[in-house]
Amino acid sequence: MFLIIKRLWQVNWAEQWQYRANLLMYLLYWLVSPIIYLAVWTSIANQKGSVNGFTANDFITYYMLLLICDQVTSNIVIHTFGYKIQDGSLSGELIRPIHPMLTNGLVNNIAFKMLTIMGLTPIWIILYFLFKPDFSSVSITGILLAIPVMLLAFVIGYLLSATVTSLAFWTTRVYSIHEFYFALILLFSGQFVPLTLMPKVIQDIAQYLPFQLLLYYPIQLIRGKLSAEQIMQGYVMAFIWLGISALLFNWVWRNGVKRYSAVGA
Amino acid sequence: MHTLKLLSSFLKVNIQMALAYRADTVVNILLNLMWLGWELLSLNIIFSNTTTLGGWGLGELISLLGVFRLVNTLMIALIWPNTEKFNQSIRDGSMDYTILQPVNSMFLVTFSRITVWRIWDLVLAIILIVVGINMAGDVTTPFNILTFMLLAITGTIIIYSLWIVLIALTFWFTKFDNNVTILQALMDSGRYPATVYPAWLRIIVTFIIPIAVATTIPLQALRGELVIGKILMYVAISFISFFVASKVWKLGLKRYSGASS
Amino acid sequence: MSANSIFVEQLSKTYQVPEREAGFSAAVRSFFKRKYKDVKAVQHVNFTITQGEIVGFLGPNGAGKTTTLKMLSGLLHPTGGQASVLGFTPWELKPDYLRSMTLVMGQRNRLSWDIPASDSFLLNQAIYRIPDDVYKQTYKELDEMLELEPLMKKPVRNLSLGERMKCEIAVGLLHRPKVLFLDEPTIGLDITGQARIREFLREYNKRTGATILLTSHYMADVTALCERIIIIHQGQLKYDGGINDLSRKIAPFKLIGVRLTDADSHDLSGYGTQVQNEEDAEKRYIQVKAEDVTRITSRLLADLPIHDITITDPPIEDVIEQAFNQ
Repeated sequence: MFLIIKRLWQVNWAEQWQYRANLLMYLLYWLVSPIIYLAVWTSIANQKGSVNGFTANDFITYYMLLLICDQVTSNIVIHTFGYKIQDGSLSGELIRPIHPMLTNGLVNNIAFKMLTIMGLTPIWIILYFLFKPDFSSVSITGILLAIPVMLLAFVIGYLLSATVTSLAFWTTRVYSIHEFYFALILLFSGQFVPLTLMPKVIQDIAQYLPFQLLLYYPIQLIRGKLSAEQIMQGYVMAFIWLGISALLFNWVWRNGVKRYSAVGA
Repeated sequence: MHTLKLLSSFLKVNIQMALAYRADTVVNILLNLMWLGWELLSLNIIFSNTTTLGGWGLGELISLLGVFRLVNTLMIALIWPNTEKFNQSIRDGSMDYTILQPVNSMFLVTFSRITVWRIWDLVLAIILIVVGINMAGDVTTPFNILTFMLLAITGTIIIYSLWIVLIALTFWFTKFDNNVTILQALMDSGRYPATVYPAWLRIIVTFIIPIAVATTIPLQALRGELVIGKILMYVAISFISFFVASKVWKLGLKRYSGASS
Repeated sequence: MSANSIFVEQLSKTYQVPEREAGFSAAVRSFFKRKYKDVKAVQHVNFTITQGEIVGFLGPNGAGKTTTLKMLSGLLHPTGGQASVLGFTPWELKPDYLRSMTLVMGQRNRLSWDIPASDSFLLNQAIYRIPDDVYKQTYKELDEMLELEPLMKKPVRNLSLGERMKCEIAVGLLHRPKVLFLDEPTIGLDITGQARIREFLREYNKRTGATILLTSHYMADVTALCERIIIIHQGQLKYDGGINDLSRKIAPFKLIGVRLTDADSHDLSGYGTQVQNEEDAEKRYIQVKAEDVTRITSRLLADLPIHDITITDPPIEDVIEQAFNQ
């Protein structure tokens, strides 16, 4: 198993490295909206002193950490597998004795991440000097507590995206469904604005959804803004959703593959 | 006259295509409404926490959203699909056929794909602009409306020219598949007034990838914030950039046919 | 305008291909100082084609056929020499020129994938400014020859390869071009599909007097359509003349086929080179020089128990291949 992972890593790393120019472009594309939100909210905070307890520096640290968290917890499985299911090229991977999504796909995503994080580092440092955030509220304990939950969130997010992608076994409109899924993330993860500034209804719903684990929860944890009780709650939610998403993915994938082989695509 | 006839032919072909994928068209319209809902919600969230953003009120931001959607529709309905087709045609060689047609190739490359259903987006955009202006309670003179329309057109021409230059670069760097990513990436900055951005970002979206020229600036004209000299300057810039773009396009074609080497 | 439809003089095209070694430091070096290698795709080619001729343009892959066709249609600028087609210099891309010729490439699509071909036809009517009555007339004629009507309403994506090729050729002919450049118009088609296209091209040439210059990998296309062929190899003109003269000039050989009463027991190598021929498995073939035919035939008849004997020209494919290899 270890050898398989090693070989998969070599192949996927080489492949992603080939696309490094595309990757840089992706990074650029993905950087813009957090920076715009950052600019919008700091301008409001500067004007009023603070927004609902968030000062301009709070916003800056929030979005600067968001850039990192998003890179760790997000995935590109819809882009790597959606078309494979649709044009039938998944067949080649299905007859191999390893799970396409859980080995090759996962390794591919991690290789992608490594490269984007490599690309992000210098950009992040430049942004650091442009915005000069004050990270004094960040503690080592916060970071150490956030790392496991970010990894859990990546796995949950990966499984959920993989579930949505697997709908391609049934419908050609999987990209539209994914767009809807993406809107849910935007609404409930804290990507647009720290969840506490969202309308009460959204905050209440977000409590029970896994999406806040992707961004809001780890960011606040690193910024030392969560109470011990809230931290506990987050971990419990993470494990519950890990179970739910694993079961969900397993069920959808099994039925999808069954259907795929029946249709003979 | 002939150009109009050609345009209507392109439109017909593209309506056919939209009809061939009618379920997708319906889904896309629904998704589009969803994003409009999200945009309004996000404005609502911003303005539940403040009364002005960069000196502009909610009404003004709604009309800015309208202007943004106007430009964005142009991008989504015309620029992105034609970029995709252009890159595809460079890859598979069907660019050869485009060049051999007895019609200006820049025209063909601009209009051969039109995402037809997006046209209703223009209606939505205009509604947003009108509602926004009414909410803001600004006094708009006919002159302001005229300059607004003029600057929306010049801004669009400037962005269009930049697009032509970006895709023409593919003639030199054949692997330049990401030719428009930078334009696409910065597009979102048009949702908010450029005045809220830090200076470096404001410089980028005004001078380098001039999204603001087609969004923030026309709206400033609508609110009567621009002096006549500035308006004339933007008109001049749009002429120059269009001229430069068509020159670059021609050079690119020469490069493609090996005339320059 | 001269009576010549196509006139080519000393036409040459040299590509500059950047050369780079693998590796990072080589990449950095090449960023500052690019090294180029010259690839001579076409070198000093001369020929003229008169109006109404069908000429086969042959050569192995990479011989420069497509490059030449691209220069003649105006897509590529030559690095040397002249060409004129219908009195125009192709690479000036004058609209009047573009409206009087067509280039059809078997491996490229001009029709939109997702819509019925009829809509793409109408679009091309607008692009080429074809008046309605002329369009209707041309369409009627093309339909007669190619049986297009049943294909027009289906999205192109749902057509078979052969059906699609018919539409591709038809859409390229809507503006009644006087000169046709066809690059592999039958590629990928089955035998009947190829025959269809061939028949059509012959008919079209007869009806309209159009000049046709075509390349093909299928020798049958060439032997059926062209009286004249031009062979190009490594960018240079190797042969220009009648297809029937080719074997005499390039390969003055004959094939003697014999059926023996006791098939395999005799050794024929003493009479000439033994060759394979799939068409008639029962016969054995030897290739001999044209002037030796009579002498060897009589020797064969004297020496061996011969059941049946034939004397033929070698297949054109073999002759052409020999021409390439010279």
